[in-house]
Formats: sequence, C-alpha cells, structure tokens
Amino acid sequence: MPAKRILVVDDNAVVRTLVRKLLESQSDFEIAGEAENGRDAVDKAEKLKPDLIILDLIMPVMTGLDAAPLLKRLLPDTPIILFTQQEGSEVERQAQAVGIDAVVSKTQVASELVLKAQSLLASIERQPDPAKFRNAS
Amino acid sequence: MKYPYWQREFEAALREGDSQSLRQRVDAAEAALFVRLQALAESAEGDEERQAISDAIGTLRGIQRDKLGYPDWNTK
Repeated sequence: MPAKRILVVDDNAVVRTLVRKLLESQSDFEIAGEAENGRDAVDKAEKLKPDLIILDLIMPVMTGLDAAPLLKRLLPDTPIILFTQQEGSEVERQAQAVGIDAVVSKTQVASELVLKAQSLLASIERQPDPAKFRNAS
Repeated sequence: MKYPYWQREFEAALREGDSQSLRQRVDAAEAALFVRLQALAESAEGDEERQAISDAIGTLRGIQRDKLGYPDWNTK
C-alpha cells in the first residue's frame, strides 16, 4: 500500500521539523509538504492534494480554524487534525463546527498524533467507494 | 534558573524590544516549550512546570496577537 501523504501546517519551523521527523519514522506516511499559515495551507493543499492535513491553530495571516472550512471545501474527504497547544472544550467545539476531524493537544505525547492519523486514514479506507457501489448496482 | 529547558528562551522573548527580532524570539520560546511539553508528556511528574508552561504559552499568545498581529482564533 502506498504511503499516505501528509501536509504539515505550523508557523513554527522547529515544530514542523519535529512533526516531519515523527511522521517520517513511520513507513505508512510521507510528507507531501509544509505550510506556515492557514493561507499557505490552502494554496499547498490545492497543489499537493494530501491524504491528511495536520493543522496548527494559532498562526499569522490565517488561523487553523479559518483555514479548515476552505480546506474542507477543496478536499472534502481529506481528514484534518488540529494539533495545538490551546486546550479546552471551546477549541473542541469550534474545531468540530468548522469540520475538523480530530484535535490532538501538543501537551500529549507525540505518538498520539501518529495514532490519530492512522485511525482517521483507516476509517476512510473502510468507507465504501461510491463509484464501485454504483457499478455494482 | 527554575526551568532550564525553556525559561531562558521565554524570558528573551519577553525582553525583546526589536520588533524585527521578536518573531524569532517568540518562535524559539514556543519551540522550547513544545519540546519540554513532549518530555513532560512521558512523565507522571512535573505538574507545577506544566502549569508554568501553560502560563508562558498564554503570555506568548498575547505577544503574538498584540505585537505580531496574529489573528485571534477565538472571536466566534
């Protein structure tokens, strides 16, 4: 099975590098690209068509919450994980409202991010392909 | 220094008066806090430091919003 391509979005270059290294240590992932704010994420997502997006919340130019609906409009089937230092039910509520699929706190051990990415991608693969369904009927 | 893994970078961000260098200082402090949070995530200890980090992150958020012009995420 080909590696899943991930877009990493964070304004902090060190955080992007650490997330990149973490994901590249897993054979099932490869980094499609990096973006440093929400606007850049939308541009890169349109070009790169990643399988999954890891999105920071607080960034210059455009926040993760403002970028998420634009990303979902471009790539409705691509899961988005909000990876943030900001914790609490308000973040969860707003993330859910804009179509973000999961929130992982930067205070959690980083392997949680990998597990969440794997589980979201696995759940997409389990969904029936509508084209196959139409052909079978 | 009570929190040697990140306090120096955090205080440097607080002291930075040059607006051109401020973003770099804040990014360095944020990176040090992230790395330390990752280390603490694997430990059952460090509650006091976690609280100090949470406070430091809140302070950095204020600098990003008020001095660096980052948009506020919580306006809805």
